[in-house]
Amino acid sequence: MIEARDASLLYSDHGRDVFACRDICMVVEENEFLGILGPSGSGKSSLLYLLSGLKIPTSGDIVYHGRSLPSMHEDERSKLRLREFGFVFQQPYLLGYLTAIENVMLASPKASREEAYELLENLGLSDKTHRLPHELSGGERQRVCVARALLGDPRVIFADEPTAALDHRNGLSVVSLLNRHRGSGSLVMVTHDPSMLSEADRVVQLNDGTIAEVMAASA
Amino acid sequence: MAVKNEPLTAGGELEPLPRERNENGRKPVLRPLAPSTYLLRNAGKTIPLTGVIMLAILLVAGIISMIDSIPYSIRTIYSYSKEMLGVTPRGDPSLTPKIIEEIKRNSPVPLDRVMLCRASSSQVQSIVGKWPFVVLGLNQSDTLYYLKRQGSKRLIGRLPKPGAPEAIVSTPIAKNLGLRLDDPHGTKQQRDASVLLGPDKTDSYSPQYVKVVGIADTDRWLMVDSVEYQREHYLPPVDIALVFARNPADQDRLDHWADNRFKGQRAQIFAYFQIDKSTRDMFKTLYAILNIVIGTLVLVITFMMGMLMNIYQSQRLQEFGLLQAIGYTRKQLLRRVALESVAVVVLGWVLGVCLAFGMLNVVKTVLMDPKAYALDSLDPMAYRYTAPLPFAILIVALATVIIRFRRFDPVGIVERRLV
Ligand SMILES: Nc1ncnc2c1ncn2[C@@H]1O[C@H](COP(=O)(O)OP(=O)(O)OP(=O)(O)O)[C@@H](O)[C@H]1O
Ligand SMILES: [Mg+2]
Repeated sequence: MIEARDASLLYSDHGRDVFACRDICMVVEENEFLGILGPSGSGKSSLLYLLSGLKIPTSGDIVYHGRSLPSMHEDERSKLRLREFGFVFQQPYLLGYLTAIENVMLASPKASREEAYELLENLGLSDKTHRLPHELSGGERQRVCVARALLGDPRVIFADEPTAALDHRNGLSVVSLLNRHRGSGSLVMVTHDPSMLSEADRVVQLNDGTIAEVMAASA
Repeated sequence: MAVKNEPLTAGGELEPLPRERNENGRKPVLRPLAPSTYLLRNAGKTIPLTGVIMLAILLVAGIISMIDSIPYSIRTIYSYSKEMLGVTPRGDPSLTPKIIEEIKRNSPVPLDRVMLCRASSSQVQSIVGKWPFVVLGLNQSDTLYYLKRQGSKRLIGRLPKPGAPEAIVSTPIAKNLGLRLDDPHGTKQQRDASVLLGPDKTDSYSPQYVKVVGIADTDRWLMVDSVEYQREHYLPPVDIALVFARNPADQDRLDHWADNRFKGQRAQIFAYFQIDKSTRDMFKTLYAILNIVIGTLVLVITFMMGMLMNIYQSQRLQEFGLLQAIGYTRKQLLRRVALESVAVVVLGWVLGVCLAFGMLNVVKTVLMDPKAYALDSLDPMAYRYTAPLPFAILIVALATVIIRFRRFDPVGIVERRLV
């Protein structure tokens, strides 16, 4: 469904070129839970940005359903992200002046309030839908972010270390919530903690910006 | 999975949601990206911003209308001359009949009445000091015509007796000078308040005390006494011709004709257009200075507001970063910021204009009206001068956001992981 074809992302560090990703070839399949694992600085986030169209590869191509993301107009990529992708970032960043349910509703202008409410309910936040972010705990905020990523039934959910700000137990529960509620969408999740990927179908191991290994589900 | 292919509309246009507030006093669910949502939920930032704009508008409108009240006063005080043309001979008092003859014969418009009068001088008060004002000496029948022509609906009191030291003033003059009708049975103080002219008044001299015996109910500023009294007591013995066009709308044409006709001759004309022109000339420099002052003021206010707006929008970079990351286009976000700014600026302007109108009315009622000083609380010029302010603030505010968006990397902002 999403295919990286020799995709590289180059940063220039004081005139010196630094590859965040180098010649990545990989595929994200329909309806799979794909883990991206690797040490800090190995290019996990960069790869996620490439796959989701948030960054343009310096060379190579990213193809989503037969369409090349880099050759799309920026606005078109934005619309694609809004319509078909969901995002969870490392920090549970919510807009401070919007309530939990309004923050969720941001993710999809087409989704109804009822859908947003239902998601929050499924994530155990039914009595906190009208709270502002500062009235929620870190774990609750990250669950709101999960709901935001899930709203509108995205085809792919991208999660960049969604568990980093949480303790292990909360982290695991966020991952399994994402996995359980993603419906028929794919989940691409970046983490440096292998134990978070116990439910993953496949795991891509990154090292120094290149794919070191692809592991199939252990279960 | 539902694939959504409908084109996206800009700025998070969600379906309108029913507003509700349940028993726990929960916040109603608002459309998250509607400009009103941001403004309402951030009232602590929006209200001061609106307030500053409001005060700026008040300042500009206030300064302009106060200054503008000076020429407005001149035009109001001397507006009586709109009704007639005055012609006086120069150097030779015997020319008056010839002048009248010429006007009657060649006037370009039908005339209603030509009368002879005398004139002496008095003064009225304005916010910038005393201004000269003419006391017309008229006979009784001309006085009646004159008052009617000046829009007087009724006369409180009576006409001056021929040859007696008596005068009529109009309501604004009575207010302005604190004049009352003469009451022969009143106290000395009351009787003093009815003296318009007197031997001890340098600026309103008359050999006898001329007392107010009638007050004409009109907005025009008028002072009339008995022509017989003036003929007997004043120099020079020159009769002035007052010429009234039949149709008041023709008066200005008559005035201009006379101005041309008697140019360079031994006659001098008095007409409203001269007052209007000299007022305009007089205030040309003042208005030029005013333009610079207001321009600078607008610049300073705009600059400060622009900086404020810039700070205000900078605090939202993470918001913009997140929204862009999850798929809102720059255009949508800009449109939203633009709508928010327009709302704040327009609200500030409207409230500012209302505040200015209110304040000016208070000033007018409390300070100006008792002395019949002219102040136009709806002075179009005052409000026109406030117009550049909202536009300038908007342009600066939007420009700063556009510049920020140009070098804007949503990933960088989300990555920076500032909450
Ligand atoms: N804007 C940038 N400019 C220069 N180099 C960058 C930039 N962003 C990332 N890099 C470099 O690219 C490499 C990959 O970065 P990336 O953020 O993808 O790593 P990561 O695997 O997500 O690390 P972490 O687990 O710490 O988040 C790193 O060596 C990093 O220093
Ligand atoms: Mg990372």
